[in-house]
Amino acid sequence: MKLGFLSIDPGTILFTLANTLILFLGLKHFLFKPVNKILEERQTAVDQTLRDAEDARDRAETAETEYREKLDKAKEESAELMRNATRKAQKRSDEIIAKAKADAAGIMQQNAEELEREKRRAEHELRGEVSGLAVMVAEKVVGREINPEDHARLIDEFIDSVGDVQ
Amino acid sequence: MAILAIPKVLQGPEELSVDGPKVIKTFDIFGFQINFTETVVLEWIVIGVILLAAFLLTRNLKVRNVSKRQAIAEMAVEAITNLVRDTMGKRWLWFTPYIASVFCFSIFGSLISLFGVRAVTSDFSVLLSWAAVTFILITATKIRYGGIGGYLKGFVDPIPVMLPINILSEVSTPAAMALRHFGNIAGGSIIMGLIYYGLANLSHMIHLQVPVLTVGLPAVLSLYFDLFSDFMQAFIFIMLTMVFISNAGPADDEAPQTN
Repeated sequence: MKLGFLSIDPGTILFTLANTLILFLGLKHFLFKPVNKILEERQTAVDQTLRDAEDARDRAETAETEYREKLDKAKEESAELMRNATRKAQKRSDEIIAKAKADAAGIMQQNAEELEREKRRAEHELRGEVSGLAVMVAEKVVGREINPEDHARLIDEFIDSVGDVQ
Repeated sequence: MAILAIPKVLQGPEELSVDGPKVIKTFDIFGFQINFTETVVLEWIVIGVILLAAFLLTRNLKVRNVSKRQAIAEMAVEAITNLVRDTMGKRWLWFTPYIASVFCFSIFGSLISLFGVRAVTSDFSVLLSWAAVTFILITATKIRYGGIGGYLKGFVDPIPVMLPINILSEVSTPAAMALRHFGNIAGGSIIMGLIYYGLANLSHMIHLQVPVLTVGLPAVLSLYFDLFSDFMQAFIFIMLTMVFISNAGPADDEAPQTN
């Protein structure tokens, strides 16, 4: 038996409604629930990742600023150190040079004094010898003994008249 | 004289009849005659296929490294969810599985005719059931947002003389939906039947034992009458359902917060 082409059959309507309800519940349970759950989980994961990335970026920015400050400070310090060291070195070298000059001057003076002393002594010795020689010569000439003490003035005059040693 | 007996199945259609679905069994429940027709059996097959597909597509769902199956399932769910959200608004999102159900039911119910059986959707009762659901939801939405009084007052709006016309328009909405879908699919199947029948007769007229003329042309026409028309009608049906139901209530932003 067949129904008419455009028949309205209550049985088919009831069965179709029931079948549609079954399909609705089935799709909801087997397709929409699991897929939506996964989509939500992924959304959560993506949000979390984004948050993490933002945090990391913030941290990196903070760290960068910090490091830049530290670097600037370090540069300043090193420059300061360099300046100090240069100044100290300059000072030290100046001191050394001054001391060397002073030392050199002292040594020169000392040498000059020594020389002078040496000269005097030599002069003195020479004078003694010459005076002895003169006495000897005079004794030979005069033929008698001459007392050096008595004739010191005479001898000196002689020497002076003979001429300067220098 | 035919030396070879051509099997009957290869001889093409011998007759063309336009009728409804076969009644397999009739139950007598409290004096009501409840028919169990071939449409219902085909519905079960269609539901089984859809649910099996849904079940297989959603095995081993993962948040990362999605498989192709999962990608298909996600795309389908997102597409239909976006369609419902765009057409009906956010408060109707719970309705998405129903729209998906009717869409799949309609498409597969129409496409099952490709296997040589009656299309589920060429049974007017089936379309009438879905249209009835739409009608009930339209009415429920109107009552929910306008109250019983507001709903009844709508029938005598703007003047009481309009009452019959308003009732007609209210009833014609689901009736037109059901008839449009039914007419397209059933009409398409009749046209395809006529074409097959005509080409088979033409083949016999020029003394061909096997109706070879039925090869070719029907396949091309079937692309329209079976594939395109099936998708179009399913889509039109769910679009009309969504538009009519969401228009029965206020626009989304004016809706009072429920749930």
